[in-house]
Amino acid sequence: MYKYRAEITKGEEVRYISHLDYAGVIQRAICRAHLPAAYSEGFNPHMKMAFASALAMGVTSDKEYMDFEMARPLNAQEVMDRLNAHLPQGVRILRIKPVREFKNKKKHKSLMAEVDLADYELFMPLEGDWDKAVESVQEFNQLKEYVYHRVTPKKVRDIEIKQYIKDPVKISMSGDRLKLEMSIIITQTGTIKSSDILKILAEEFGLPINPVRALINRKAMYGEGKALIDLV
Amino acid sequence: MIKLTPEILQAIEKPARYTGHEWNAVEKNWDEAKCHFALALPDVYEVGMSNLGLKILYEVLNGRSDTFCERVYAPWIDMEEKMREAGIPLFSLESFNEIKSFDFLGFSLQYEMIYSNVLNMLELAGIPVWTKDRDDNDPFIVGGGPCVYNTEPVCDFFDFFILGEGEEIISEVVDVFVSWRAAGSPGGRQGFLREAARLDGIYVPAFYEPQYDDRGLFSGMKLLDDAAKPVVYKRVIKDMDQVTFVEKPVVPYIDIVHDRIMLELFRGCTRGCRFCQAGTSYRPVRERSKERLRELARKLVDSTGYNEMSLTSLSSADYSCLGEMVDDLFADFEGEKVSFSLPSLRIDSFSIDLAHKMQQVRKSGLTFAPEAGTQRLRDVINKGVTEENLLQAVEAAFKQGWKQVKLYFMMGLPTETDEDIIGIANLAKKVVDKYFEVKGRRGCTVTISVSCFVPKPFTPFQWFGQVPREEFERRQKLLKENIRDKSIKFNYHDARVSVLEGSLARGDRRLSKVIYQAWKDGAKFDGWTDLFKNEVWHEAYEKCGIDITQYNERTRDLEEPLPWEHTSPGVSRAFLRREYDKALQECLTEDCRRGKCSACGVCPALDAKVVDWRAKDV
Ligand code: SF4
Repeated sequence: MYKYRAEITKGEEVRYISHLDYAGVIQRAICRAHLPAAYSEGFNPHMKMAFASALAMGVTSDKEYMDFEMARPLNAQEVMDRLNAHLPQGVRILRIKPVREFKNKKKHKSLMAEVDLADYELFMPLEGDWDKAVESVQEFNQLKEYVYHRVTPKKVRDIEIKQYIKDPVKISMSGDRLKLEMSIIITQTGTIKSSDILKILAEEFGLPINPVRALINRKAMYGEGKALIDLV
Repeated sequence: MIKLTPEILQAIEKPARYTGHEWNAVEKNWDEAKCHFALALPDVYEVGMSNLGLKILYEVLNGRSDTFCERVYAPWIDMEEKMREAGIPLFSLESFNEIKSFDFLGFSLQYEMIYSNVLNMLELAGIPVWTKDRDDNDPFIVGGGPCVYNTEPVCDFFDFFILGEGEEIISEVVDVFVSWRAAGSPGGRQGFLREAARLDGIYVPAFYEPQYDDRGLFSGMKLLDDAAKPVVYKRVIKDMDQVTFVEKPVVPYIDIVHDRIMLELFRGCTRGCRFCQAGTSYRPVRERSKERLRELARKLVDSTGYNEMSLTSLSSADYSCLGEMVDDLFADFEGEKVSFSLPSLRIDSFSIDLAHKMQQVRKSGLTFAPEAGTQRLRDVINKGVTEENLLQAVEAAFKQGWKQVKLYFMMGLPTETDEDIIGIANLAKKVVDKYFEVKGRRGCTVTISVSCFVPKPFTPFQWFGQVPREEFERRQKLLKENIRDKSIKFNYHDARVSVLEGSLARGDRRLSKVIYQAWKDGAKFDGWTDLFKNEVWHEAYEKCGIDITQYNERTRDLEEPLPWEHTSPGVSRAFLRREYDKALQECLTEDCRRGKCSACGVCPALDAKVVDWRAKDV
């Protein structure tokens, strides 16, 4: 089998589709492009495809990463061109590289195991005083620890979230919208969602915004400081 | 252009229902088009997107360079609430234009219990729900689909209806519209409708006035305009190979009801089941050629990337070259991981073998429709299937490894007795026993799904009164008590819905008041069990002073004029009467597809003929 890694967008047009549906979009495009995809064995064969990290419904991304396999070796540029011709608006492949096996036969780690950091930008209307906004973000940034009481339909858990935030959260104005930037650490055992941090800022630190009005974009994903595609 | 804010989209279920941009969606320039046509199905996106008829019309209309055609479905209740709150009018899924700004809004009417949604969508669009209240700024509201063989209960909400198959007539309507507009819209809305009414297959209800006798029964139609024909006949496509078919269906992002390619093998079914409106209203049988189907299959896989294809038709196993074609398709798509399925199976071993071939790996369930529990009643309804046929078919299926069988039945058919009801339980038990006989052990599941019979216009049973709700429920209980085997599962329809359907199916124009009232009082998505509001409907009948039993339970006099006879699929009253008599005599009628013509009247009335590739060879 021949493995490739792709850097791919999830744009405004497909913001509201789920991760599973996003994968379906790419699979159907592979079929339309008549690329010789590799399938798993078994009763219900599915295309061999893996993502670095699931993207939530409502979040766009400048750079998602996906590994997939072909039954025949094809030129990476050709795979990219053929796929791009069959992808819907908002989904674009930016780069594709073949995943070369190491000389010592050591296997590449899976994308999911490689990713350790993701950058996000969040845009929303400022619904109050700018100085107050700056102050709340600063207050949050200065804390060494912050325990978040996370309630999901499945379980309730207390987590210390500062361990997952790499640099101080940045605040600025972008046109007439407030912009927050954050780098979130992803470990094998856990991480935090950018939307959760936003909620904490609004509800616990008085950031004058309404989280439901925010548009979130994932800007980049890294492993060991490099873009995931540069690891292969 | 409507802009949906994240605040709305993040607060609702499945926002991708409303955000468009799907693969193959056609995005055109509004200003360059002379005709703007919105195609609607008054149900939620997943249902609307699964409708084959609309996919075809979308392709026909967008195939015209002068026409701009977009989709719209009923917003789910969560979205409706947000739209009303934010003052967002109903919009189209491609360009997000207001529906009100289109020239036409066409509704596909798939079943009666969706009528309230039509009114709701009109209101959301800011279009007056009553036809008489609309003016030059409103689109023409068009209806089509299976419900057009009795449009009377809803015709006060529509400007006109398209009867029958739409792919040719819809373009003729656009032609008339474009020239009428170019001429400066002479005569206003009426002027256009008068022109349209001259086309075959177009029914303009405002040109007809129903008459009632002193008992309050419908007594005939008075024609109010010289463009109005006494009887409007449906349109049929004569050559299925020549006509446009879907080649680039819109591929949704989210899972829909039929999330696969639909390859339509043929139209019509002439097996002649006497309860079945599809059987009379889609006549005659017209097949596509095997070559054309293979060509379409290739195009559809290439344009969608789907790996599942359903070979659809009213009774797909009747397609003359099915065995051969399936082999050809298998060969054409070798190594492409495309799977094929048949939506319905005939009760015979040919079908089982075919299903076996198609479901090599996963054997889900098999579905058969004996429709009635005893031979006597199956003869009444002209279901030419015997107990032996069924037992042979399931035997073959069990031998091939199937374990789950689903059997469809109807309850409340004319002449039905308790014996027929108990016959359903007995038949299911025989299927269970057959499994034991074949396998030497237990282990199959037989699901019997029993619907409540609704007499439909233009069927031999159109004169029969419908069984009252309490009686349906008594029979359901009786059946339940007679099912004693744990391998048998029993599903049945809500009789409350069926009796309402029964009234709307054979209603007349006076029911528009009731529909309006029910909608005003909150009826919508009545086809959805959780949202169905039975009392609202019965109260609406009461408020309007209309006795519902007039419409559903009353047995019509055989001589009585019926309020739907001026919008006809072409079957003659004489044929329906003959079939009615034969039903009571428990006599069968042959299928005209490959047997002799039973003179139903359709072919001469529509100047059409049966196209069956096997019949042609002989
Ligand atoms: S007219 Fe005869 S051949 Fe034509 S559909 Fe009717 S019964 Fe069949």
